Amino acid sequence: MEIVVNGAAHTLSDELAAPQMPLLWALRELLGLTGTKFGCGVAACGACTVHVEGRAVRSCVTPLESVRGKRITTIEALGSAAEPHPLQTAWALHQVPQCGYCQSGMLMAAAALLATNRAPSDADIDAAITNICRCGTYPRIHAAIHAAALELQHGASAA
Amino acid sequence: MKRRSLLLSGLGGAGALIVGWGLLPPRGRLGGVDTLPVKDGEVGLNGWIKIAGDGSVLLAMNRSEMGQGVHTALAMLVAEELDVPLARVRVIAAPNDRLYGNVAAMVASVPWFHPSETESGHESNAAKSAQWVVAKVARELGINLTGGSSSVADAWDVLRLAAATARAQLLGAASLTWKQPASELTVKDGVVGHASGASAHYGELARIAAATPSGAVRVKSPSEWKLIGTPAPRIDLVAKTNGSAIFGIDVRPDGLVYAAIRHCPMIGGSAGAVDVAPAMKLSGVERVVRLGLYAGSTAALAVVGRTWWHARQGAAAIVVDWQQRPAGGLESRTIVEGLERIAKDAARSGGGFVFHSRGDVAAAEAKAATHVERTYRAPYLAHATMEPINCTAKVAGGKVEVWAPTQVPGLARAVAAEVAGVGLDDVTVHVTYLGGGFGRRLEVDAVGQAVRIALECGGRPVQLVWSREEDITHDFYRPAGVAVLGASLDADGRLVALRITSAGDAITPRWMERDIPVLAGPVDTPDKTASEGLFDQPYGIANQRIAHVATKSGVPIGYWRSVGHSHNAFFNECFLDELADEAKQDPLAYRLALLDEAPRHRAVLLLAALHAGWPGHGAQAPLAAGRARGVALHESFGSIVAQVVEVSIEGGRPRVHRVVCAADIGTVVNPGIVAQQMESAVIFGLSAALYSRVDIEGGVVQQTNFPNYPVLRMAESPVIETYLVESSRSPGGVGEIGTPPLAPALANALFVLTGKRLRELPLAL
Repeated sequence: MEIVVNGAAHTLSDELAAPQMPLLWALRELLGLTGTKFGCGVAACGACTVHVEGRAVRSCVTPLESVRGKRITTIEALGSAAEPHPLQTAWALHQVPQCGYCQSGMLMAAAALLATNRAPSDADIDAAITNICRCGTYPRIHAAIHAAALELQHGASAA
Repeated sequence: MKRRSLLLSGLGGAGALIVGWGLLPPRGRLGGVDTLPVKDGEVGLNGWIKIAGDGSVLLAMNRSEMGQGVHTALAMLVAEELDVPLARVRVIAAPNDRLYGNVAAMVASVPWFHPSETESGHESNAAKSAQWVVAKVARELGINLTGGSSSVADAWDVLRLAAATARAQLLGAASLTWKQPASELTVKDGVVGHASGASAHYGELARIAAATPSGAVRVKSPSEWKLIGTPAPRIDLVAKTNGSAIFGIDVRPDGLVYAAIRHCPMIGGSAGAVDVAPAMKLSGVERVVRLGLYAGSTAALAVVGRTWWHARQGAAAIVVDWQQRPAGGLESRTIVEGLERIAKDAARSGGGFVFHSRGDVAAAEAKAATHVERTYRAPYLAHATMEPINCTAKVAGGKVEVWAPTQVPGLARAVAAEVAGVGLDDVTVHVTYLGGGFGRRLEVDAVGQAVRIALECGGRPVQLVWSREEDITHDFYRPAGVAVLGASLDADGRLVALRITSAGDAITPRWMERDIPVLAGPVDTPDKTASEGLFDQPYGIANQRIAHVATKSGVPIGYWRSVGHSHNAFFNECFLDELADEAKQDPLAYRLALLDEAPRHRAVLLLAALHAGWPGHGAQAPLAAGRARGVALHESFGSIVAQVVEVSIEGGRPRVHRVVCAADIGTVVNPGIVAQQMESAVIFGLSAALYSRVDIEGGVVQQTNFPNYPVLRMAESPVIETYLVESSRSPGGVGEIGTPPLAPALANALFVLTGKRLRELPLAL
């Protein structure tokens, strides 16, 4: 099976990559992209959030066959060291992560939100980010999303 | 019972401020250069610090980073004394040596002293000598443990002295080389300079420094600090925003295979006949391993597969005739009813182990005008760390390698060696980042399981990952607890006598049995964690009897963020609110009147009141319609926290809008991390107060995953503010202290709204 992850096409062995295999395990164990996390296996916590065609999906319940040929983005390609995503910059500014385990999913969910809503309200954020964090980073995530949104608006108007 | 016989009774959870044992010179914990192996270009200066060729400082990190910011905090202590930017300190794994054991956590567990006996500078002789003896024992044992909010307290003297000693040697080396007096040398950003123009970075001086005596060493005074006390950014932040941070579940040694697990659904049960054929038919499934019992685990089967998904399907396919434990299925409802009966009986008969007594309770009760007695209850709780329980192990050529997100690497080593039948020196443990710990990772059950599976994998490494369902149903739960609280008030409503009798399982003896059997005694000794938060309360109540009946329910129990404080604060601070109401007094004023002899607690309470705008305190902003405030004060782990919670009821459920936290944590190393931890502990406590309970029926835990073990989400998260009292005392704990006051402050606020007292967790309107 062929999937496109972070701009690169990968051929997965048919022996292991069954059509119903959740994308999460293909990313983590066949492609070695461990930034996407396993948290609950039932799409309840969002630790496994990635983008498929720019939309946030919970990869622990997304069968490989449903993403064949589609554009998949993981935390590893959200930004780069030279050019971090505005959310990554805001995450640092607001010192968001604690244990850090849920943060990949949080960032991917937040990035998908900002991609469609450049100025999310508190209620928009609450509705869009239903991921679980046991360290309680929620208030800082809120603040960091607003900060990144401002940065994006600023960047857009400057450009 | 003789006090001496109790010396080793507690270890994991609790803490009074660490004092007295400071009489043991920290120099004895500096260690030698031989403790910390060097690689090419590195020079060791003591057991904690090496200097790399480029002048950066390598710190032997003996504590696990699970979100609490300990890597940053300890690196800050070293950067401060060595005068290097924080970014120049690199954290490396501390080797396996007793030097890296946690002395503070063990000293804090000594069970029989009231905080008034361990107050800095006013320690009783008994407290001093007991702490000294325990510290000596702790140094000998060298148990490396991250828990009990003890890391900074433990490192405070040792790391600063280690870094200051290294600095003195580096300056000595420059002085010798340049033939200039050390007093004329300056250090900036790890570069030593002299007015003559001579200049060298630490890397250039390290070799000579290693052979240069330090001379007299002085750590900086607080007025000289540049880094300590600042909100320096966390050193683990970038890796935790780009997916590169490596947790236990992320290690990928060559040839890795994956294992899923299926425990007997009934806690303590066993596996009868097993049909593995349906699993072995599935593609990608390699083998099934029958697991024994390791460090308190329940019987289980593991399935090894090419990916975890294949393994998990295999685990689901096995047909097993699970057997109930011989004693019959555990029933949490029956257990809690039993606890209530036991607590009430003991309250009548004067039973239980007395953790604190003062005055003459019976005489005061006889003279009192009013008596109030209430019963409070708390359920079993799961930890639900975001990173599911996992461990990776490889057994090859008589050597064992373990990768584990653990709070106790030495105990992980011990169980790995035992299961593999090799010596301790044949085991290497790599500690990864922990995706949450909260006490769950003080357990090494999964380490034993992973090593057992690895023995069957022909030298290949295997990564055991529990599903979320296995995690929630096979945890070591926060024990259920019941307390009967009795108060006697005089005619003015003043609290003249307090009698608390609680009942519940004691964690520490059970933990010792499964995790450090060599320290487990033939009989259980009193466990401070059972009564912490009750026997050691700050209120000036002249007559007190605070006792606990330790039970043995058979439910696997363990340390859970803030341990006994997590429910005892709820019992005590809700009850006090009831007494204020009985006395027709403001709950804040009622507490203040009991704190004449506790100026630190008083100050914390007033600081919270000020910022919350409690009536009569601070700027008076009227509460929004439908909202009410509640307050609670609680000391734990050597720190004091007060919280004021603002709540309304929306859709029949409590909605917390704002939590104002005030704290005295002693010296503040990093106020940014303290605020983070306060937010974390509040949200953790709020999840538990609103939602969390574990029910066991027929031995089977009924909750299985986040849909039926809900935790707080973003939309329910309050605004949380943190204010700190300035203090020059040694640092107290930080990671757990914000959890205990949350539930009582919330319940007290809900009482204002509803007029109904909620005496059971989770809070149900």
